[in-house]
Amino acid sequence: MRYVIIGGSAAAISAIEAIRSIDRESQIELFSDEATPLFSRVLLPYYIAEELSKPLLNFRSSDFFEQNKITSHLGVRIKEISSESNTVTAENGEAYPFDKLLLATGGNPIIPPIQGIQKEGISTLKTMADAEKIYQWKGKRAVVIGAGSVGVESCISLRKRGMEVTLLEQLGHVLPTVFDEEAASMIQKRIEDLGIKTVTGEKAIQFSGNGHVESVVTESREIKCEMVVLAVGVKPAIELAKKVGIEIGSLEGIKVNAEMMTNVQDIYSAGDVAETFDITRESSWINAIWPCAVEQGRVAGLNMAGKKTLYIGSFRRNSIGNFIGVPAISMGLTRAETCSTCEAGESFQEIKRRTKDAYKKLIIKKGRLAGVILVGQTQKAGLYQILLKKQIDVSEYIPVLMSRNLNFMDILPLIRRNADRFTETEYKEIMDTGL
Amino acid sequence: MKILVVDKNKCTGCHQCELWCGTEIASVSKELYQAIREEPHPIPRVYVEGKDFALQCRHCEEAPCIEACPNGTMRRDPETGLVYVNEPTCIACWMCVMVCPFGIINPSASMKVAIKCDRCRHMGYPICAEVCPTQAIKLEERKDYRTKAF
Repeated sequence: MRYVIIGGSAAAISAIEAIRSIDRESQIELFSDEATPLFSRVLLPYYIAEELSKPLLNFRSSDFFEQNKITSHLGVRIKEISSESNTVTAENGEAYPFDKLLLATGGNPIIPPIQGIQKEGISTLKTMADAEKIYQWKGKRAVVIGAGSVGVESCISLRKRGMEVTLLEQLGHVLPTVFDEEAASMIQKRIEDLGIKTVTGEKAIQFSGNGHVESVVTESREIKCEMVVLAVGVKPAIELAKKVGIEIGSLEGIKVNAEMMTNVQDIYSAGDVAETFDITRESSWINAIWPCAVEQGRVAGLNMAGKKTLYIGSFRRNSIGNFIGVPAISMGLTRAETCSTCEAGESFQEIKRRTKDAYKKLIIKKGRLAGVILVGQTQKAGLYQILLKKQIDVSEYIPVLMSRNLNFMDILPLIRRNADRFTETEYKEIMDTGL
Repeated sequence: MKILVVDKNKCTGCHQCELWCGTEIASVSKELYQAIREEPHPIPRVYVEGKDFALQCRHCEEAPCIEACPNGTMRRDPETGLVYVNEPTCIACWMCVMVCPFGIINPSASMKVAIKCDRCRHMGYPICAEVCPTQAIKLEERKDYRTKAF
């Protein structure tokens, strides 16, 4: 068997580990356009903040390729895939045959069509090269456009380096896809306490400056700056897939089945590029987050190595940790309205509790958790996560789930009752407690 | 591999396991009378859940915490199979906390690391099992519960 993996981040590495858990010997070739291997993209803001040096950005040890007998082609871009000859062709023209191919090409940062965007001192933050460039920038004032996870962490990293930072978000509040307004306001307060200026509900319409950026212009103000980080999101890198006729979903991601295979036999896809079934939305979605990439990579890898495994489906999960300084975790849907698939008349509840520094919200759909937001007290977040992931009926357990003392013992009866929703290993693990 | 198993009938909810885990593993002083007054307060790796059930990390075979960790801080000891936090590299992002189905990873705000049981991997015998007065906590070989009817 010859495996070819395109991509070198979470989904790719996870797939390799899965393949190697079954097949120790077959040839695996990995192609990544990043010259630096095995670093964690989500940690780039930590690098800019000088909190982590380069070696500490790695999520696997530097001998990973050697240990797993991987032939790695780093800094090598694949320009073409042929599904007839089952080969991939690198930019230098060399062709490599495969029996099973994984497309873990991730996402490309979105470059919004704003006048003056090509000016110097404006960058996205996706690659190691981007991080190094931003790290080297000289100047005192920065604007970060987009208050998603990358945007918020970027502005904190620049602030930690002593810069004057403005965070600009066109939607109504920070982290608009991660938190609801209430939770976001608690986090926004923390961001502002760090000395970052936040501007929400305003759109950048122009970058001014002569060659180098000098300011960001919105409808109502001009913000002087020497640097701009663009963090308005990523879109799946589907160029290769499109050319070979792989089916693209309505959200512009690569469509995969439950085995993570595309519509082309022997070509699989996983991670930020893949469009999968979202169990909270009950529809196709792109959940471009680390845990989903790892899970999908594993399922793809197992199937590629011949062990039939089905993906349970994806759902969004985000944790705001110490870097921002407010413990907050959010999963699934953030607000009832986003549940567009919910038919009229279906029971649909939002249950909230807010105290001074803590906030908890559950979104219940058809008796099952469709979204959870926790700010402050987060240690038991994993209990909600497993109930949501397994779509267990919790309608009789709402007071328990809203309780301050929720613990594993409380949800055990629910898990037992729904044993059939767990894999053998998962269930064994739970029963091993001695209960 | 061997894991810690609790006999619910024998657990009296006395919290001795928490007390001694906190002292022996988490405290700086290692003396109970001092540990109790230490700041930051030592965090035990075992929790008496409800009234009477001691729970600590299960060292899952398919460990969601390892999968969620973005920089390989949560790892498995290849020799023993035990899952542990490599504390010096922990960035306190709490991704592991978010996915632990048992809720036994403590996001320590004061220590800025994820804290959980490593089954006393550097010691001869887990402290919680050693101090349990009724021997409710025992070290046993992992069983296959799926064969049982439930």
